[in-house]
Amino acid sequence: MKVLIVDDEKSLAEILCQRLKLRSIDTDVVFDGESALQYVSNIEPDVMVLDLNMPGMNGMEVLRKIKVTNPRIQVIIFTGHGSEHDEHEAKGLGAHSFLMKPANVNVLLSHIMAAYSNR
Amino acid sequence: MNDDIKDTETFREKLKNIIVCIKSFCIFNSGEPTAFNKYRYRQLQVKLFLFIAVLSLIPLILVSTSSYFWLQNTLSEDFNNQLRSQLEGVKNSLEFFLDVKLSALRFIASSYNQDELLNHEKMKDIYTNLKKEFEDIIDFGVINSNGIMESYVGPYNLAGTDFSKQFWFNNVIVNGFYVSSIYSGYRNVPHFIIVVRKDLPEKGTFLIIRAAVNVKTLNSILSPITLKQEDDAFLIDYNGIIQTPSRFHGKLLDEYKMQPPPRQNLVTLESRKEDGERYIHGYVYIKNAPWILNAIIKSLEKRSLATISSGEILLIIFGSVFVVFIVSIRMSQILINRIKKSDRLREEALKEIEHTNKLASIGRLAAGVAHEINNPLSIISQKAGLMKDFIDMSSDMETNKELIENLFTKDKFIELTNGITSAVDRCRTITHRLLGFARRMSVSIEELNINELVKEVLIFTEKEISRRNVQIELDFYEKLPKIKSDKGLLQQVILNIITNAADAVDDNGLIMIKTYKEEAGSIWIAIKDDGHGIPKSQIKHIFEPFFTTKGKDKGTGLGLSISYGIIKKLGGTLSVQSEVNKGTTFYINLPVEANIEI
Repeated sequence: MKVLIVDDEKSLAEILCQRLKLRSIDTDVVFDGESALQYVSNIEPDVMVLDLNMPGMNGMEVLRKIKVTNPRIQVIIFTGHGSEHDEHEAKGLGAHSFLMKPANVNVLLSHIMAAYSNR
Repeated sequence: MNDDIKDTETFREKLKNIIVCIKSFCIFNSGEPTAFNKYRYRQLQVKLFLFIAVLSLIPLILVSTSSYFWLQNTLSEDFNNQLRSQLEGVKNSLEFFLDVKLSALRFIASSYNQDELLNHEKMKDIYTNLKKEFEDIIDFGVINSNGIMESYVGPYNLAGTDFSKQFWFNNVIVNGFYVSSIYSGYRNVPHFIIVVRKDLPEKGTFLIIRAAVNVKTLNSILSPITLKQEDDAFLIDYNGIIQTPSRFHGKLLDEYKMQPPPRQNLVTLESRKEDGERYIHGYVYIKNAPWILNAIIKSLEKRSLATISSGEILLIIFGSVFVVFIVSIRMSQILINRIKKSDRLREEALKEIEHTNKLASIGRLAAGVAHEINNPLSIISQKAGLMKDFIDMSSDMETNKELIENLFTKDKFIELTNGITSAVDRCRTITHRLLGFARRMSVSIEELNINELVKEVLIFTEKEISRRNVQIELDFYEKLPKIKSDKGLLQQVILNIITNAADAVDDNGLIMIKTYKEEAGSIWIAIKDDGHGIPKSQIKHIFEPFFTTKGKDKGTGLGLSISYGIIKKLGGTLSVQSEVNKGTTFYINLPVEANIEI
């Protein structure tokens, strides 16, 4: 199983990556939307953990594009600024689940597992 | 670590921005002092009162003056007519008085033949009979065609007197009769004579019958006109010699100072003024005699309206004016009370709207704060979680022994705790800023480089602008003087205008920001977009509070009105120029020296 974390909050993204690795999950990290798309074009991860508020291309845009190019990737939206409206929109675009920051790593892990099994 | 610090900086700016928004709200909300309103209402009431009073008094004055003049005119017309008929009456009496005497003499002339008329005894009889009818006949005589008095009866001895040189002699030969002016003659007693010609056709000659008449009767005929003490009526002859006694205009047979008026058979009235005193001069020519009847009437003033009823008229006018004043005061009071009431209702409604909007801003502020706090909280949570992971795993040495030994070092642990402390600092900054906002509301003046300030503002908007690929073109005047103003408030205004511009342009649109200087003492910032522009019908409203074209979700309609208020407070001006489908330009003019209303 391969997980990609996309978040412009670098220290958060790196720690999350490290903790998931400690839980024996193969995790990579990028810090903006454009890098995420570039990464996906090389290696297709199974699950993507995606922040919404990012400079440049935002999370919603990344989600929309990924679902066109790589519909098999399961996307978990992980944001500190999630409104019901955003959740509704993301689910409509095909996101697997919507998770609010801050969240326990084990909760995130269970979401990742659920998403993976949903492939 | 460094990333954390940088994040903190950006965050600080973001928060400051939110705070500025709330702060400007507070500036906007301060009401006007009540003392000013009271003064304004009083001024308005005085104006209303004057307006109503003048408006009601004008027709009142017009009607009363016009009816006053009309009435006076009517009265004076009436008075003139009375005078006219009076003079006419006197004229008729005079003419009748003369006619009777002329007829009597003509009767004598035709009833008696030459012999009888020259017979002294017969003449005595005729005189006696005549005297019975006309007491005022003084004497009676017959004159032959040579002017010699052939026969005479009377108190004077005039028989044999030659009258051929007398002024009337030729006159009677031509006209058949003559009435003379009044004169003293030989006897030194005022009298006039009536002469009648008796033709003797068979002899080809004539006789003249002459009677002298006393003036007393004339005086009594004139007396009805002169009942009033200040009036005068008298006769003058064609030479202007006064014929009957006058009260004020000379003695009998004196010369009258006024030239005889032009000949008129009808009564003529002329209004004249002498020594500031108005009077009516009425005159008429008397038929068959060289007399002009004159009447000088000065009593007219007392008969006019002005003196008769000026008291009542003044009472009515002052009464009406008083009523008008009372009504005007009352009406202006009622109107002012209505205005006050509607003002109060409007103010209350506005306060309610402002309150609602304030709550909405507080809601947005809370959402913003929550979002900004969530990120450091996540970091704390994850870093603490990682430390716990290490501890959990080190007690279970079996699994991932190698991995743990690599990662779980003292340095790593310290780095994690530092990260947590830094995230806590970030949170503390937020709370401190909030507290600072509560304390500091007033304008604070500092020296600002506007070019730098615009660049700083652009940092806040970068995310949104780069997301939509909007181009920003900067045209900064490098020698722009530094100005003294409030940084936070100006940032708020410029941010607001740039955000509006970004909303107005399509993706890939262009925003141009220019700073320049036109005149000493002030600087300009122009923010131009190539967006959809503002229609003419809306442009006059754009600085009004709660006017928005963005729809409910996006705008409160307060941004530009707050910006307008801020720039005004900073002593500058904010104006706009726009053309539909071509774009909009906002111009900010700011004084170099602080010019703040405090």
